[in-house]
Amino acid sequence: MKDMSIDTIAASRAATVTALSPVARFSLRGRGDAVAALSAALGVELLARVGARAQAGARDVLCLGPDEWMIHAPEGDAAAIINACAGVAAPHALVEVSDRELSYAITGPQAAELLTLGCPRDPDSIAVGEGRRTVFDGATVILWRDGRDAFRMDVWRSFAPHVTHLLATGCRELALG
Amino acid sequence: MLLIHCPCCDETLPEMEFAYAGEAHVARPADPSAVSDAEWEAFLFIRTNVKGPHFERWRHIHGCGRFFNAVRDTVSDRFLTTYPAGAPRPDLTTLMGDDA
Amino acid sequence: MSRFRVPGMGRVDHEAPVKFRFDGVHYAGLAGDTVASALLSHGVHLMGRSFKYHRPRGPVSAGSDEPNALIGTRRSRARAEPNTRATMQEIYSGLRTVSQNKYPSLKFDVGAVNDAAYMLFSAGFYYKTFMWPRSFWDRVYEPVIRAAAGLGVAPDREDPDHYAGRYLHTDVLVVGAGPAGLAAARAAAEAGQRVVLVDEQAEAGGSLLSEPSVRIGGKPAWDWLAAELAALERLGVRVLPRTTAIGYYHQNFVALCQRLTDHLADPDPALPRERMWRVRAGQVVLAQGALEKPLVFDGNDRPGVMLAGAAQTYLNRFGVRVGDRVAVVTVHDSAWFAAFDLADAGSKVAAIVDLRPEVSENLRDGAKARGITVLTGHTVTGTSGRLRVTSVRVNRLKDGGGLGAPRQIDCDALLMCGGWTPSLHLFSHTKGSLRWDADGRTFLPDRTLEDCRIAGAGRGLWGIADALADGAAMGAAAAQAQPGTVPAVENDRTGGGIAMAELPTDRNASRARAFVDYQNDVTAKDLRLAVKEGMRSIEHVKRYTTNGMATDQGKMSNINGLMIAADALGKAPPQVGLTTFRPPYTPTTFGVFAGYHRGGHFEVTRKTPIDGWAEAQGAVFEPVGHWRRARYFPRGREGMDAAVARECAAVRNGVGLFDASTLGKIEVAGPDAVEFMNRVYTNPWTKLQPGRCRYGLLLGDDGFIRDDGVIGRLADDRFHVTTTTGGAARVLNMMEDYLQTEWPDLDVWLTSTTEHWAVLALNGPMTRDVLAPLVGGLDISAGAFPHMSVAACTVAGVPARLFRVSFTGEVGFEINVPARHGLAVWETLMDAGADHGITPYGTETMHVLRAEKGYIIVGQDTDGTVTPHDAGLGWAIGKAKPDFIGKRGLERPDLVAPGRKQLVGLLTEDRSRLEEGAQIVLDPKQPKPMKMVGHVTSSYASAAVGRPIAMALVEGGHDRMGETVYVPMPDRVIAAKITDTQFHDPAGDRLKL
Repeated sequence: MKDMSIDTIAASRAATVTALSPVARFSLRGRGDAVAALSAALGVELLARVGARAQAGARDVLCLGPDEWMIHAPEGDAAAIINACAGVAAPHALVEVSDRELSYAITGPQAAELLTLGCPRDPDSIAVGEGRRTVFDGATVILWRDGRDAFRMDVWRSFAPHVTHLLATGCRELALG
Repeated sequence: MLLIHCPCCDETLPEMEFAYAGEAHVARPADPSAVSDAEWEAFLFIRTNVKGPHFERWRHIHGCGRFFNAVRDTVSDRFLTTYPAGAPRPDLTTLMGDDA
Repeated sequence: MSRFRVPGMGRVDHEAPVKFRFDGVHYAGLAGDTVASALLSHGVHLMGRSFKYHRPRGPVSAGSDEPNALIGTRRSRARAEPNTRATMQEIYSGLRTVSQNKYPSLKFDVGAVNDAAYMLFSAGFYYKTFMWPRSFWDRVYEPVIRAAAGLGVAPDREDPDHYAGRYLHTDVLVVGAGPAGLAAARAAAEAGQRVVLVDEQAEAGGSLLSEPSVRIGGKPAWDWLAAELAALERLGVRVLPRTTAIGYYHQNFVALCQRLTDHLADPDPALPRERMWRVRAGQVVLAQGALEKPLVFDGNDRPGVMLAGAAQTYLNRFGVRVGDRVAVVTVHDSAWFAAFDLADAGSKVAAIVDLRPEVSENLRDGAKARGITVLTGHTVTGTSGRLRVTSVRVNRLKDGGGLGAPRQIDCDALLMCGGWTPSLHLFSHTKGSLRWDADGRTFLPDRTLEDCRIAGAGRGLWGIADALADGAAMGAAAAQAQPGTVPAVENDRTGGGIAMAELPTDRNASRARAFVDYQNDVTAKDLRLAVKEGMRSIEHVKRYTTNGMATDQGKMSNINGLMIAADALGKAPPQVGLTTFRPPYTPTTFGVFAGYHRGGHFEVTRKTPIDGWAEAQGAVFEPVGHWRRARYFPRGREGMDAAVARECAAVRNGVGLFDASTLGKIEVAGPDAVEFMNRVYTNPWTKLQPGRCRYGLLLGDDGFIRDDGVIGRLADDRFHVTTTTGGAARVLNMMEDYLQTEWPDLDVWLTSTTEHWAVLALNGPMTRDVLAPLVGGLDISAGAFPHMSVAACTVAGVPARLFRVSFTGEVGFEINVPARHGLAVWETLMDAGADHGITPYGTETMHVLRAEKGYIIVGQDTDGTVTPHDAGLGWAIGKAKPDFIGKRGLERPDLVAPGRKQLVGLLTEDRSRLEEGAQIVLDPKQPKPMKMVGHVTSSYASAAVGRPIAMALVEGGHDRMGETVYVPMPDRVIAAKITDTQFHDPAGDRLKL
């Protein structure tokens, strides 16, 4: 998930918000026997704890709910993911949602504080290397914490202007001290 | 703004991640066509509206997405416990301690 | 140097003069001054007029409890604020302030005629005075009294400032940065906790700022304070001055309002004016101290009469003497110290009047040493002076009751002290219970469910040593640590006192102007009258008299009001009880509540991938839920009717393109998908073949229509469900509810794909001519791809999910492409259709086209009480299914009873267009109120039908075909014939082309 930035939304000495290039996204659902079978087929362990993440190569898989995972992968990997899951007989559901969300990188010394403008949850309750679905200024978002000062935010496409507007406001405001 | 413990995520989180979903333990009859009009009315419309410990449902809608159950004291607005949907009612005397 | 400023005293910067204006007059204060302290330094006490009687008023306090000195502040026409406390507003260079509630001037106010007529304005005057005579309503009450009432003038321009907000999670929040709060923050921080310390004042210190003579840990108080703040900074404590805890909500959720620019001469325009901190604290320590109570006596509101503690603050913190010749009336030791400080600073203390018969030796000695006349066992029965107190009337309290002869003592300031009451407001927000302290005759905080501790004077402790020790203990307890050592305190001026209701008088009590609530002009007489007139509950007394209902929320008046009401009721104060304190603690701007949510960020505005194109084309938009959708695309100077008629004609005769991206989309996938669909929708799904679509109808278990949409079966185990635009989230939530809690055994999962797909709806007889050349991998001829089909293909080279469906009655395709390609495919279609006159159309045209076909809009033609049968959709029910959501509900007695409102068509006899929402009657000549049998749900001009069409819900409508009903309007009655709802192509031949 590196070097995908295409467009800087806002930048200050506090934080930088960057629009990220498209990725392949899948909502993967399943339970029971399917979990191990899907893990084997994808080559990534589907972790059971909400918020936990596992990676294999460029596939990054976040547990969003007890039977729900979000897969991010390079676009060229999409067909392989579909094929891998198609071979699993145990009940499951794979739905491509690549275009449902847009992703933004939120980085900088006050990246976590920037999130507090709209996020009622304590950003520090998301450990580095984990992620969560949560809410930011009324919009459901998925936060991936890639480092102490580095988050990614997935937001449904039509909510993105609203969310990035506040993030940009916050970048300016935090820089004022 | 309340703090709610999601039994699925095992985290205590701000109310804004959750949506209220009405009274708990109102089971839809297994064979609705077999129940009387009065029973169906009770299922649809009749709620306890208690003053005190209330069994209710919430959904962690901006989180794991799970519906779950809770016991909330409607006088103090305190959550006494939360537990997964489908689990039996917790024992109130244990939850309320001396106040039960 | 202004006349009342004491050189070298206070925390103001004597080298930094600051010029500002009050009522157009220039004044010079010092950096660190408030408006009140700066004006007092020039001997100006008169700062405003009271609300009801327009009595001249000056500051009575030095803090946020100030009821009198309310001023207007102004940077510009838009940056103006009424009712700002002069005691809290810091001065800056160029600040403009005005007094309020006066005309034509502060010193001569015609509204003060109310004061002379005060008998008219007694308790409950809102309920009595305006009752008679009736003609006075128009001639007197409205024009005169309403104009004279109210406080301040609101700005008449949009607020150009912006406001911020932040969530903050911390282990310990300490409210109040006086000695108790400082000690609590230190103790908690040293135990390793994340600590936030807030104070509403411009700087931390609390009572230490007014008690510089105290020594702590061997240091002068202010040196200790500076060292302590430095230590807190080192420990990582977030100290927020100018920050008021305005509300304490569930589970230690505390709202803080931080003022960021109101004290700055030239703030960076990028700075927010205020910020709302929404704090979630593990533990809260309330160290808000105590509020000094006024004494209640005739003329206690004259400018120059103020709280003794306020005078002490003006002197020690701001270096301002509040008068040259000061008298004191008190029931508490603390006022003696204020008098001593003023005497030491050069004011003459004319007398200390104490109602107590005896006071301690050291007080007497202190007075004697300063040559101050001491009148213990005396009371004050009145004051004189028009715009400023000039003398005080004093009587001896006789043993066994009664008063001695009055004497007059000249003064230019009268300091009063009725004792102190803990600041209970925030604690009360937690629904915490209060305990009556019979010794102190005051309420103390008792129990709360919150993880909350009260430290220092806030729980009745008195003196800086006790506050420090208690703060340290509470801070340590909040951190679950052992308390550390507390520094020694020298010269701590502790003391005690008694509490009174109103002071005794030898004059006619019913004529006394003894104010309890200064801001709302409520007197002791008003409170007694309220009890006499039958108010028994303190809550009723409060509302009848408006005591404690002003913008100061009863900070000064509630306890005194309670004491007087209890006395009048013949009950003990705890039996009467306090009224409820509610947030916010101090008046708070709407701006900070709104925060970022104003202008374009007021709420989420969802836009489709086509939105920018539509905007560039000049589309007119309408909100649909949070979406904004193109309503129509006017050409030139076209109005809506002309544009819609043109767009409708294009679809009926050629081809139109519509952005349907907002439709809700849910992918239902898993082995039990068909079973789930059978249980959720009314329709049968088992026999629907992959590649085929069906109209789906969703009910609630009550049997009423909730939503509808076309659903395609993509595979045996996969459906593509569409919902209404507004229903998308609600439907998904409902489905998840049933799936998770009623049918957790089903192996099926739901995923919202609403925003994954852009949906381009191509409709009209020439649709296929435009689309066919762009489609790859699929034969879309009528034979190969009939109405109600779905298939994967490519459109304009983009992978697509193509539906052949129609919401217009014409041949229609809904092209689903990944959202990022939506605009490109749209533009390709527009280019490809140019030769066929392809016309973009909006939601208004969509509504007309569907109404011509009798297709319902859920939420417009239904209202949550409409069954499928009522809507003429009985055909959509899979009667053979054992169960589905709403099946049992449809058998409810009311739902099968005759006379239900049913959806019908209406054609007006005079070919006029009905108003949506208009009521329908059967007999227009019946007497009023008429029996209404239904209402118009949809109404449009229809070129295809050649006349206006409407749909309506009418009682027993399906059995009234051909009957005439009537729609009474303000100017006439419109007759309309009941028809079928399918106005255009009822056989549906055009769909099959």
